[in-house]
Amino acid sequence: MSGWAQFKAIVRKDLIRELRTRDMLVSMILFVLLAMVIFHWAFTVKGQTDLTYFTGGMLWVTFIFAMLLGLNRSFAQEKDEHCLDGLLLCPVDRVTIFLAKTVGNLVFLLIIQAVAVPVFALFFIERSLIGDLPPFLVVLLLADIGICSLGTLLATISMNTRSRDLLLPILFLPLIVPLLVAATSATTLVFADGAGFGTVASRILFILGFDAVFLVAAWGTYDFAIGE
Amino acid sequence: MKKLVSAPALFIGAGAFLIVGLMLGFWWAPVDSSSMGFSQKIFYYHAPIAETSLVAFGVAFVAAIMYLRTQDLRWDRLGYVSIRLGLLFAILVMITGMIWGKASWGTWWAWEPRLTTFLLVCFLYAAYWVLRSVVDEEQRRATYAAVFAIIAFIDVPITWFATRLMPEGLHPAVITSGGTGMESSMFASFMISMVGMTLLLAALIRRDLQIETLKDQVTDLKTSLGG
Repeated sequence: MSGWAQFKAIVRKDLIRELRTRDMLVSMILFVLLAMVIFHWAFTVKGQTDLTYFTGGMLWVTFIFAMLLGLNRSFAQEKDEHCLDGLLLCPVDRVTIFLAKTVGNLVFLLIIQAVAVPVFALFFIERSLIGDLPPFLVVLLLADIGICSLGTLLATISMNTRSRDLLLPILFLPLIVPLLVAATSATTLVFADGAGFGTVASRILFILGFDAVFLVAAWGTYDFAIGE
Repeated sequence: MKKLVSAPALFIGAGAFLIVGLMLGFWWAPVDSSSMGFSQKIFYYHAPIAETSLVAFGVAFVAAIMYLRTQDLRWDRLGYVSIRLGLLFAILVMITGMIWGKASWGTWWAWEPRLTTFLLVCFLYAAYWVLRSVVDEEQRRATYAAVFAIIAFIDVPITWFATRLMPEGLHPAVITSGGTGMESSMFASFMISMVGMTLLLAALIRRDLQIETLKDQVTDLKTSLGG
């Protein structure tokens, strides 16, 4: 079985397993929607309801926390049902497992965002977003790749420890801050000021660099993280 | 491993350089002509600690790579003590930075790039400690710690760049690509303090390594005695 076929098989397995139960996706979507409602009440001060300059922050904080929920859940299932042990017994390259897991998580995150972003726009942005979508979608996709690659590596480590889901945010959040800063400021620039590609180019390049560095770092270290 | 310099000699050397550096900083280097005035003197202590803490994390990064290559627990021990000391130095950077901030900007805390970077560095390496504490098996703990130490060290410059995406900071950019922006007496005092602080780090790493090795030997002895 070639590496590409193995990669497709693992991604397919993860997607089918989740789509059968939908436990994780439903919880993540509900979490994201609830967070938006809570943000509305948390940030509306003295009747001032214009939250335009909070949009980037609200969106990315929600996605990061939703992803933490998803990562914990997906790896807890793998561990508890001994899926990973089975996977490790197969003659599969560890890097293939890493890439497949990352892509699986990326698909889940994108499904959540496909539901969350239109609702978010409805709740918080008063003008039409159609013209602003291209730069936002590029930021979204690139930031998602960084979140999922780093998240997959750290979730693999944390699931093998005593604290598991408690450990993941402690490891993940300080590392993801640079990406969060860039994605948040780019999103706010796009949503609040209608900025185009030219204005957010430096941030997009930064996110691209972040993705490249951590994909390579995770690629190089995943073999050790996943163990024997 | 052959010991090139004895531990007491390192401590004495570090102490001498630090005392001379601070004395020169206070009495030889002029009072800063900018708005910072006398409060700038903390720079001879604050900046060397900051750079030394990054050196300690760099040592841990190299030790982590070496551990993953060799699986020799001595490298894990080096990484562990380096990060412990690096974190201690990073906390000192925060404290001295806040004191300086209060004296020269009138506020204990400002969200400016370097201070924010060090705050995140503290969180990052505190997470390393938490990670170590929740893995029982020695070899696995060392492996996870090494992977995290590599990722964390890569994240430090990236965090610094990210903080630059925030609005302009208050922190003085002392050493830039255009030069040091310091008088020669100030620079000499700073460099002497810097050497002193690096020697202190080397001395502390060495002492901590000895302690950790002794601890492991005691554990092995207890195990062999059935304790």
